[in-house]
Amino acid sequence: MKHLAPILRLILRDQRPALLRGATLALAVLLAGVALLGLSGWFITAAAAAGLAGAGAVFDVFRPSAGVRFLALGRTAARYGERLLTHDAVLRGLESLRLQVLRGFLAAPWQRMARIRSAQALNRLTADVDALDGLVLRLVLPLAAGLAALAITFVLLWWLVGLAVALWICVGWLAAGGAILWLAGRTALGPSRRIEAAAQAFRSRLIDLIRARDDLAVYGLLQRQAGAVLAADNRRHALRRILDRADRRAGAALMAVSALIGGGALWLGGTLAQSGEITPAAAALGFFATLALFEAVAPVRRALADLGRMTDAARRIGPSLTPPPAAAVQDAGHAGPGLSCDGLWLKPAGGGGWLVRDLSLAVAPGETVALTGPSGCGKSTVLLALAGLHPIARGRVAIGGRGLAGMDEATLRDRLTLLPQRSALLAGTVAGNLRLACPDAPDADLWQALEAVRLADPLRARGGLDLWIGPGGAGLSGGEGRRLALARALLRRPDVLLLDEPTEGLDAPTSGSVLAGIRHLAPQAAILMASHRAAETAFADRRIQITRIVDATY
Amino acid sequence: MRRDPDPLARLVQPVSRVLRQGSALTVLSGLVWPAQAALVATAFGRLVAGQPVGIGGLAAAYVVLGLVRAWLGMAADRKAQAAAETLTAGLRAEIVAGEAARSGAGAAGGAGAVAALAAEKLEALVPWLTRYAPARLRVAVLPPVILALSLWFSWAAGLVLLISGPLIPVFMALVGLAARETSERQMARIGSLNDLLVDRLSALADIRLLGAGDAVARDFATQAGGLRRDTMAVLRLAFLSSTVLELFAAVGVAMMAVWVGFSLLGVVSFGTWGAPLAPEAGIFLLLLAPDFYQPMRDLAAAWHDKAAAEAVAAELAARAATQTPSLPGRGERVAPLAGPASITLAGCRAAHGLRLPDMAIAPGEAVALVGPSGAGKTTVLRLMAGLSLPCDGEVRVAGQTLTSDNADAWRARIGWMPQSVHFLNASLRANLTLGRAGDVAAALAGSAAAGVVTRLPGGLTARLGETGGGLSGGEARRMTLARALHGAPDVILADEPTADLDAGTAGAVAEGLLAANRRGATLVVATHDRNLAARMDRIIRLEGTA
Repeated sequence: MKHLAPILRLILRDQRPALLRGATLALAVLLAGVALLGLSGWFITAAAAAGLAGAGAVFDVFRPSAGVRFLALGRTAARYGERLLTHDAVLRGLESLRLQVLRGFLAAPWQRMARIRSAQALNRLTADVDALDGLVLRLVLPLAAGLAALAITFVLLWWLVGLAVALWICVGWLAAGGAILWLAGRTALGPSRRIEAAAQAFRSRLIDLIRARDDLAVYGLLQRQAGAVLAADNRRHALRRILDRADRRAGAALMAVSALIGGGALWLGGTLAQSGEITPAAAALGFFATLALFEAVAPVRRALADLGRMTDAARRIGPSLTPPPAAAVQDAGHAGPGLSCDGLWLKPAGGGGWLVRDLSLAVAPGETVALTGPSGCGKSTVLLALAGLHPIARGRVAIGGRGLAGMDEATLRDRLTLLPQRSALLAGTVAGNLRLACPDAPDADLWQALEAVRLADPLRARGGLDLWIGPGGAGLSGGEGRRLALARALLRRPDVLLLDEPTEGLDAPTSGSVLAGIRHLAPQAAILMASHRAAETAFADRRIQITRIVDATY
Repeated sequence: MRRDPDPLARLVQPVSRVLRQGSALTVLSGLVWPAQAALVATAFGRLVAGQPVGIGGLAAAYVVLGLVRAWLGMAADRKAQAAAETLTAGLRAEIVAGEAARSGAGAAGGAGAVAALAAEKLEALVPWLTRYAPARLRVAVLPPVILALSLWFSWAAGLVLLISGPLIPVFMALVGLAARETSERQMARIGSLNDLLVDRLSALADIRLLGAGDAVARDFATQAGGLRRDTMAVLRLAFLSSTVLELFAAVGVAMMAVWVGFSLLGVVSFGTWGAPLAPEAGIFLLLLAPDFYQPMRDLAAAWHDKAAAEAVAAELAARAATQTPSLPGRGERVAPLAGPASITLAGCRAAHGLRLPDMAIAPGEAVALVGPSGAGKTTVLRLMAGLSLPCDGEVRVAGQTLTSDNADAWRARIGWMPQSVHFLNASLRANLTLGRAGDVAAALAGSAAAGVVTRLPGGLTARLGETGGGLSGGEARRMTLARALHGAPDVILADEPTADLDAGTAGAVAEGLLAANRRGATLVVATHDRNLAARMDRIIRLEGTA
């Protein structure tokens, strides 16, 4: 529950007036239902009594019959309004929830951001947000409206019929209905949480099967993987059966309670009427109101089956909503344009000993420096640290003479662009991907950037800027995708360009020509590239070698 | 493509019997109410008339009937839920089997789309089965029964129901038609919006590096807002349909109440078959009236279940109608194909029309495939691995034509190293061996990857995410190579084995591949790396002529 509270607060905070109006209308619907049935029952019975007594002519038929019509129409209208208002408010709430999640991740530490890339994590995230949609609409609102309706009905019945009948009906519904719903919710809590895990296992195994289909086929594991996918689905169905059974029983128990309370109200009212304490019409009023109260309790039942699922989702979503604290400002001033770092010490992302010790380097504007060293020595981590995406244990970094530590995100991204080792393209057109870097760039600029990475000719033949790229860069070869990402980075026109193995997947002549194109387009940029390919190191003005640290306990 | 007239009906055919049983039970449960109403009417009728009445007995009978009704409802739900389970489990099994039989080259829909269909969209069939189908039968039976009962007591009461009743389906059909169209549009929209969200989130890091976070968030907000407006359009119609119904029901019940009231008072004297309306009959009619409309309201509430289920059925039908190349063989472990480890391509044209040069690779030979990007290097490797069949020409392996019948046996001999790897959500060891027996340490040594394993927390038991969480590009590549070398296969097919590697490691990897070759394995590498190509026995150049 403590996990649900912040999400609930968020939705309530953004949509309070709409939800309040919706809740009021929901209560109006319930009360109108109770009043309609109660009044009709009273009216018919009282009319029958008057008719039998020969007092039909003096019986006031117009007020009750007008009341019946008013309640019938008012209830219908209130229900329509309630549905529209609450659904709209909840959808708006979810919209802001999604956006907060997206923004939360955009400001998250690099490692967390990299983790969300996996389809499983992504899917879980979207599924979680979807699951929270039921929280207000199906649980909180009906529960609040139902309780209020019970309370008000109690007072009315006490006044119009008698305390005994009112107690039996309202306390009966509250106690028995509450107990059934509480039991149902408790039974469902575990399975509804685990069913989500089973669903995620099904999905992730199916995605494994499809994405690694070739590998699984070669290694003769395809059918076994298919079996594992179905095993997860079977688990889901077994849990679903438990949930369905709990839900069925709760439903049947509520109907049984309805019959019991109805029968009791009939007996109580009938007995009182026989003894002359109340009129038969008042007894009818009590009985008919009972029938309507079923509507106040029943809707909560379905939502309870999902309570475990919602709590779980809220627990995972919660942390994404609070952005991490901003890094502490260390120093500001550092001389010299271009890029420089002084006495840089870094630890690996997973923790442990030093990855990089006491690294100092400077790249002047217009200079190209290659950062070399064996695989795993920390080249990529150095680039991430220089781009402000990896914590700096000790040392200073300056970009264009300003300290990295004190720089805000927007300024930093304006001045410095990093092309990471694995970069993702968006589904959409070539132009759409390029304009991500620079939304207002005219077509000519885009072509210029494509020209620089020698991608203009290959693309021109296939639709140029309008060429559609599928999810994950589908439709482009690996080398073309890499060059498109390069062109996108160039469009930022940064002072400092950090490139992590920029020409990977390209043949040597293309690599050289692409690097020359980059330099031509950005003559004044300070370029630092992590590389081990001859084509790249040959192009650089200078090389800086990092050695792998053996003494990890230093 | 020809549209199936009713894909949904065909889809639920296998469970229609259970479904009918469940629906019949809900009808029975609905029929209990008139009996309960009769008891209540008797009680109040006699109370009003001051006649003696065994109120305790009547109330007890009312409760017992209520319990029967609750039990019948529960049994009906059990049937409907069983039908839903059978159907969705069967359809999922079909989708999974279909995906396992497809060739990777021409997959219909990405992994995300298929997973969304199998995991989420199929669930849209459940409410149709558990709510809509039973409601449909209730509508067919209960209103006529209640109408008949009402007519028995009074033609006027029957008339009220008769007039307000038949108008309902007309309105419902009109509103339902409109709702269906919007709902179909919305289903498509939800799919693409989820794809969009997933797409944006997976490029989150790049978006941030490009300083495009705000723009992307704004764009996403616009899209989400669009979805909300679409959803509200659907809901407005859906709610309208149930409101129209409620209105009719409310007016009908109110008219009934007023007529019964006036009759009982003696103000009106028409509408009965002769004798004046008895109090019992009046109360009975009033109790029955709401239940005349209830089944139709249930059906209306389930309208968008129908629309959603039909959309899913249509998508499944379209999927079934899409032909994609199937995977040669079943992808099962079988005894390796006997014969020399030779591979020949003759007159091959790939599925997308690319013509490939003829080539013959002798057992134990080391061959490099080189050529510009897009020349078909990967296509050749896939043909050689029996992962797809050429649309013209033939691939011969171990002296026989490669077909679906011997593909599994041929692949059992292959060590496979794809260009980009998708690690399974499993341990590093499971990802390395993929179920093959052999010396893991030797495979790691051969790929210069032993150090990578020791650096990972948990070593071989470390769990890998999909794209190799915790591994750098070069490390992931070396793991893929270790996997290809594992189990000493006698054919090794490697796509860009030295990409992402520094010169020292690339040399070690080349050495590992060549060591396997010296041991006797046939080696084919597709590569841009001139150093690696130069170390092979022979270079085959692909020009990429269409």
